[in-house]
Amino acid sequence: MQWILPPGAVFDFEGAGGPVEVVRGLGGGSQGQVYEVEVGGERLALKWFLPACIARDRTLERRLGDCIRTTAPSEDFLWPLALLHPTPACTARLRTRSPGFGYLMELRPEAYVGAHEHLAGRLSISLRNVLRAGFFLADAFGALHLRGLCYRDVSIGNLFLEPGSGRILVCDNDNVGVNGQDPGGVLGTPGFMAPEVLLQQARPGTASDLFSLAVLLFRLLTRHDPLRGQMELAIHCLDEPARRRLYGEDPVFLFDPRDSRNRPDPIEHAAVLVTWPIYPRALQALFEQAFCAGLRDPGRRVRTGQWRSALARCLDARRLCPACGQEIFTEPAADGTGVCWSCGSPVPAGLRLQTPAGPVHAAAENEIHPHHVDPRRPEDLRTPLARVEAHPREPSLLGLRNLSPHRWSVELTSGARVALEPGRTCNLTAAVRIHAPDGPIAVLR
Amino acid sequence: MPFPDVRLASRPLHFLYLCDCSGSMAAQGKMQALNEAIRESLPGMVEVARRNPEARLLVRAIRFADGAAWHVERPTPVEELTWQDLGAGGVTAMGEALELAAAALRSPPMEARALPPVLVLISDGQPTDDFDRGLRALMGEPWGRKAVRLAIAMGHDADQEVLQQFIGPLASAPDASGPSPARPLQAGNASALARYIQWASTAVVGAASMPASRPAGMSSGHVPLPDLPPTVLDPADDVGPLVW
Repeated sequence: MQWILPPGAVFDFEGAGGPVEVVRGLGGGSQGQVYEVEVGGERLALKWFLPACIARDRTLERRLGDCIRTTAPSEDFLWPLALLHPTPACTARLRTRSPGFGYLMELRPEAYVGAHEHLAGRLSISLRNVLRAGFFLADAFGALHLRGLCYRDVSIGNLFLEPGSGRILVCDNDNVGVNGQDPGGVLGTPGFMAPEVLLQQARPGTASDLFSLAVLLFRLLTRHDPLRGQMELAIHCLDEPARRRLYGEDPVFLFDPRDSRNRPDPIEHAAVLVTWPIYPRALQALFEQAFCAGLRDPGRRVRTGQWRSALARCLDARRLCPACGQEIFTEPAADGTGVCWSCGSPVPAGLRLQTPAGPVHAAAENEIHPHHVDPRRPEDLRTPLARVEAHPREPSLLGLRNLSPHRWSVELTSGARVALEPGRTCNLTAAVRIHAPDGPIAVLR
Repeated sequence: MPFPDVRLASRPLHFLYLCDCSGSMAAQGKMQALNEAIRESLPGMVEVARRNPEARLLVRAIRFADGAAWHVERPTPVEELTWQDLGAGGVTAMGEALELAAAALRSPPMEARALPPVLVLISDGQPTDDFDRGLRALMGEPWGRKAVRLAIAMGHDADQEVLQQFIGPLASAPDASGPSPARPLQAGNASALARYIQWASTAVVGAASMPASRPAGMSSGHVPLPDLPPTVLDPADDVGPLVW
């Protein structure tokens, strides 16, 4: 890589509030080059745009300025912090004929890896954390859209995951803009673009973001593309005109209940045949809405709040197969039993925690959140009130750990009551009801 | 429990270097510059392959001088590739090289389903054999026609017209002043060569596999080509070419 900003150099950029030392180049793409820099003793990332990108995208600088002023919609975005322009004194040391500009943002923590690593099967991540990542993703786009902004370029390349927690980071926020204003510099990434944008009948905006979000969620959850089934097999060379047909002119969802032309091929598309049945009907139905009615009619696309609710409920239904240990998410039958998607063993109902917002299965790692005890609150997975944990020496013994700052009272099967201090865990087998200041949690058997 | 051990379905992406190894490539270190540029580009190519799980990037190379032969014959996953030095000597059997490429792009051995192949022709001279016959053979293959064909002219003695025929006719005149991937890329020195090789093996491979985000108003085609790399000013640029 040939760097526009020589590593080791110190620049007095306008807007940085101090000298900017280029530590090293991190990477380059079609829009610009990204560097690790040090400003005022702090390590940050600096993206410097290529002259061709600036020339093509007339509103880039203004959009970035607007983004910086509005600040990040949530902590899940690696948001622009400051716009930097070269001063006349340092222009000569930039290794380019047109100096251009760049912006500062936080460095991406190393624990976050590109979502493509998950699609390629190179990442060790649990189903729970993939569903959590999907939740955080829908949540992030909900927060962005709520501010009247749209992202325009949702794709796997702009998403990073923390496999141990399912937390996400949305990067490359330089195409963000006010929905409906400013055309923006990009149309999107083929494979993620809404059909009307691919066919150039509409400009990217919040409606097309919702389509791209559904594609990204489908890919995260199934490791497959929602529109590549048997109709793809007829394509020899997957080039631009072929992508246009597949994603724009005649797109058909793999599991469209009314159009079976594009079902997965058992050999070529084996991944999705394994992963799709893992998910409960309610979640499958949302994908059907997104990729059947929502394919042609942007007004019928799945909203971010619908994804959040469905994914949160899916996590509440999480159980573990007693035979193989795999995670189960499908709703149990009326008698409470189910079958493991992985090994086919019967899965008994087990203990459930009845909260005002509905039941949460008592499986290790499942959590009670504020929205469970107060159904008026929006779903949020960031600050659990309690977590189901196995006893450290007796894994079959499940307990509920109080993660709240308050003391709880536990009503036991014997009728007695014990106090549960913050950080302590009560044995669920012995508990009937847990009294927390926010509301009661009953243990169902 | 880990996510089920399944991965995204992928298609092969064949990347083929066609390298001029005629005697003139020995002059002014051009052959070594090409070897170094390709070797230098490999880590970036591995990274692009990692980022595109939908593509299985397979690399091959043909060298041509008195005749044409495989330099890397097996379609090699890029992360397994180690580049052996090419040596220079002989004339310029470019036509034969195209015939060899044509045979490799025939189905079979070519898979029935793939991503558009990428062919990169690098030359510093003029064909000494029947170039037209080679080009006809290549363009007679559906995968040859679908391929992204790029040409890099090393120095000023390369036959621009022949390289342009390899790329294909200029559809519309892109702005006539600046360099364009629809025309032979002029590598006047070692750093320009490295820049173009890097670009072809990363940005173009990316565009042919899982396309990058699409700037509004970008021209389309079988594979919309990304911007050429920016000219990063080099102290060497101010004093003229240092190597040749």
